[in-house]
Amino acid sequence: MEPILLRARGTPSSRTLASYLEAGGYQALGKALEMTPSDVIAEVRASGLRGRGGAGFPTGVKWGFVPKDNPRPKYLICNADESEPGTFKDRELIHVDPHMVIEGIAIASYAIGANTAYIYIRGEFATEARYLEEALSEAHRRKVLGSNILGSGFDLDIYVHRGAGAYICGEETALIESIEGKRGLPRLKPPFPAVVGLFGCPTVVNNVETLACVPHIIARGARWFADIGTEKSTGPKLFSVSGHVNKPGVYEVPLGTPFNTIIDDLCGGIPGGRALKAFIPGGSSAPVMTADKVTTPCDFESVAAAGSMLGSGGLIVMDETVDMVWALENLLTFYAHESCGQCTPCREGSDWALDVVRRIRRGRGRPSDIDTLLRIARFASQGMTICPLGDAFCEPLRSFVTNFRGEFEAAIDRAEPLSPTKTPILPVRSGRGLFGI
Amino acid sequence: MLKLTIDGNEVEVAEGTNLVEAAALAGVEIPTYCYHPGLTVVGQCRICFVEVEGMPRLVTACSTVAQDGMLVHTDSERVRDARAAVMEFLLANHPLDCPVCDQAGECYLQDYSVEHGLDSTHMVDVRRTFPGLERRMIGPHVVQNQNRCIHCTRCVRFTREVSETNDLTMKSRGNHSYIDTFDGGPYDNPWSACAADVCPVGALTVKEFRFRARVWHLDETDSVCPGCSIGCNIEIGHLNEVVHRFVPRANPHVNGWWMCDYGRFLAEGLNERDLDRPQARGSAPSEEPSWAQAIDRLASFIQASPPPRVVASANLSNEALFLVRQVLRDHAGLQVVVPVERGEERKMKNGRNEWVSNVDAHPNSTGARLLGFDMVDGAGLERFATADDAPLLILDNRAHPWLVSEAAATALSGRRLVVLGRVATRLTEVAELVLPTASWIEADGTYTSSTGRVQLARRGFAPRAQARPTWEILDRLAVALGLHDERATSPREVFTALAEHVPAFGGMDYYRLATDPGLAVMGEVPHVG
Repeated sequence: MEPILLRARGTPSSRTLASYLEAGGYQALGKALEMTPSDVIAEVRASGLRGRGGAGFPTGVKWGFVPKDNPRPKYLICNADESEPGTFKDRELIHVDPHMVIEGIAIASYAIGANTAYIYIRGEFATEARYLEEALSEAHRRKVLGSNILGSGFDLDIYVHRGAGAYICGEETALIESIEGKRGLPRLKPPFPAVVGLFGCPTVVNNVETLACVPHIIARGARWFADIGTEKSTGPKLFSVSGHVNKPGVYEVPLGTPFNTIIDDLCGGIPGGRALKAFIPGGSSAPVMTADKVTTPCDFESVAAAGSMLGSGGLIVMDETVDMVWALENLLTFYAHESCGQCTPCREGSDWALDVVRRIRRGRGRPSDIDTLLRIARFASQGMTICPLGDAFCEPLRSFVTNFRGEFEAAIDRAEPLSPTKTPILPVRSGRGLFGI
Repeated sequence: MLKLTIDGNEVEVAEGTNLVEAAALAGVEIPTYCYHPGLTVVGQCRICFVEVEGMPRLVTACSTVAQDGMLVHTDSERVRDARAAVMEFLLANHPLDCPVCDQAGECYLQDYSVEHGLDSTHMVDVRRTFPGLERRMIGPHVVQNQNRCIHCTRCVRFTREVSETNDLTMKSRGNHSYIDTFDGGPYDNPWSACAADVCPVGALTVKEFRFRARVWHLDETDSVCPGCSIGCNIEIGHLNEVVHRFVPRANPHVNGWWMCDYGRFLAEGLNERDLDRPQARGSAPSEEPSWAQAIDRLASFIQASPPPRVVASANLSNEALFLVRQVLRDHAGLQVVVPVERGEERKMKNGRNEWVSNVDAHPNSTGARLLGFDMVDGAGLERFATADDAPLLILDNRAHPWLVSEAAATALSGRRLVVLGRVATRLTEVAELVLPTASWIEADGTYTSSTGRVQLARRGFAPRAQARPTWEILDRLAVALGLHDERATSPREVFTALAEHVPAFGGMDYYRLATDPGLAVMGEVPHVG
């Protein structure tokens, strides 16, 4: 497939407006401004574009939720808080072609009637924030942003807002709170941001990659876009491949490409000819998949049918040398650290699960631990929490323990039995406590 | 109005009611930690899960608004499992220190653990602790033990939404987030101890009450705060005739769910008692008057010539003041004034989130005004008392700071004085007759708040020693003066007469005062302060 989103990769000075215009940039914006906003939404809806941030919600439908009769201002937010472990595609997009993202933001803002848009970018992306600022000021200078864009009467200002480095601020309502200057805590839903969002106004939050697809849909038509990929998962998708592959990096493939094609053909296979053990298809919060599922096509439906989720397309490859207990501890360390602490199951569950897995790894596991982990995974997910961070740590937890139960059991079997000298609480003599209880 | 069914009970609620309140109306209790009727809904403790037919997932009752025709199950297996799991999560890191925790007995974690929790835990790891935040004075009245915190943020929301001082905040993130003051300074707003009230566990406790009594031993008496004329509704906790604490009692018309620290810590003062029996100056202990003799002496004092002047008090109940008017002013024809002190400004939020503020330091100056007394300030009181050499009857020796002052003792030396009171002052030393009166909790009484609401403060226990309620002393005096034949048996009789004679109190019923959140007086209430 010819690259679409990453078409400018390798072009010198690809971040400049001149380079983008040369590649046909901002023509889609001009075309969109001649259409009515509802036609733009209809076109995006017809393309079948689904959100690339993780949930895969149809973008056109999301835009359609913005109430037309609401007198308040509307906002568009581009979510560049790319914090999911294993995901680095938005960073690449901003590195290569920030104007493509900006054009997508402009078209989306026009479609929903927003005159102000924010790019919320994670604090660690200092360079990328600078690239965006540079691109924005260039676009302003050349009047493709600002007031009366391309003579259409449509005004748009875009601001870059840098986060402070919390994973949770990638969740759209926490992101909105963060832009408002508050602690980044997810809000209760409903109301959804499309109705009550930033500063209480209707707001659409879209991922960087989602918005980068929009100019192409407008320029080449929904039909062209829908022909890429599968029937229900249309378009190109960026995969951030990391882990045990020879050539890790960001790859653009049509949705529906089998994972083994990405791993073996694009990334050059696993180093040293070792065997694949497992892979996480969609960023660390997606359930881990075993090696036998590697032929699964990478589209939303097939991955879901295989028991995982496509998520953000952060493909983490693990070969046979990986200790899955260690891998889970690694992931849980992240989630326990990034739980916002607002609601009970996630706050307590993430830390508790980490304690248990850490203990298993240190040779102090107990046979009951597996049930405890599965119990945490069951009760801190599936709507038990305010936001999906509960699911984000429970899905890997559940999938690691169920898919690699043998490894966890083996680690528990290796545990030293509790000896009297190592029991921390009460000295135990002949099975009775200090007080003969 | 909407109709919905909760656990098979049909209930009708107003639009916008959430499922916790709707269930309460249906007689079903849904457990809650973070939900508080006076604070915004955050839905973060997750204990209030209920199942609503047609919704795929469990929903939190606090954040779900009742809809017409909803079918809600609060006791299905799914709900029970979810609640048990949330309880287990909450208890995973909560210390098992109930025996030394002051919240024990009024701890929601204990209650719901019994009701909804598992009987054991899967948690075998070392519990999270917050070294340094385990026994910390976060402010002058509030002690923090962060280990016990369940992160419900009620205290944080209290300081944001009610006190509007934004003192408290959550710092750090995840399981290690903790409550701290926003700027690291002391937590010292005028309502600070309410944060400990709203704390559902023992993370924030009130210093003054810590370790004084186990709450399940306390007797609780519904009362009204004696601290100022706002008249916050309170509950007095007492044990063996010792008052241990005041806590606010919800009344949306007056104080919402709150009370100020000044009022709260008046509790200790109720235990003071210096005057325990009628005393006549100069008489040996064996010759001290009985109450009957004391009343006779009081009666003859009133009929002396020149006639005595009377200093009443805006701290007296409506009933006592009514008897002052009836017996002393109208029957005996004495001059009566009610001194009012302009105190510090007190502010309180009612249940509609409106501020009520006040500088009147007395609980019943509105009642005294409605009864038609002459109100005087400190200077007026001094002029009244020192205008001539007439004897003085002081119905409350602490009615006004001037009466307690050395200046008053000097000005009134050599005068014939009869003083009623509970605590010894300079005037009780020089009075010819001293009569001990009941404390706030030792007598029933109604008080009229600055917003014109007549509220009942109940008696918690009988007056200690030989003290008597002021209304009873005045009522016995009325009998001695031949005004009635029989003594009144309860303040209710006096109140009934008051309601008959004073238009502002027309139609009020003493029993309804006991069940209603106070009754509004008829007509305009003069603005106080």
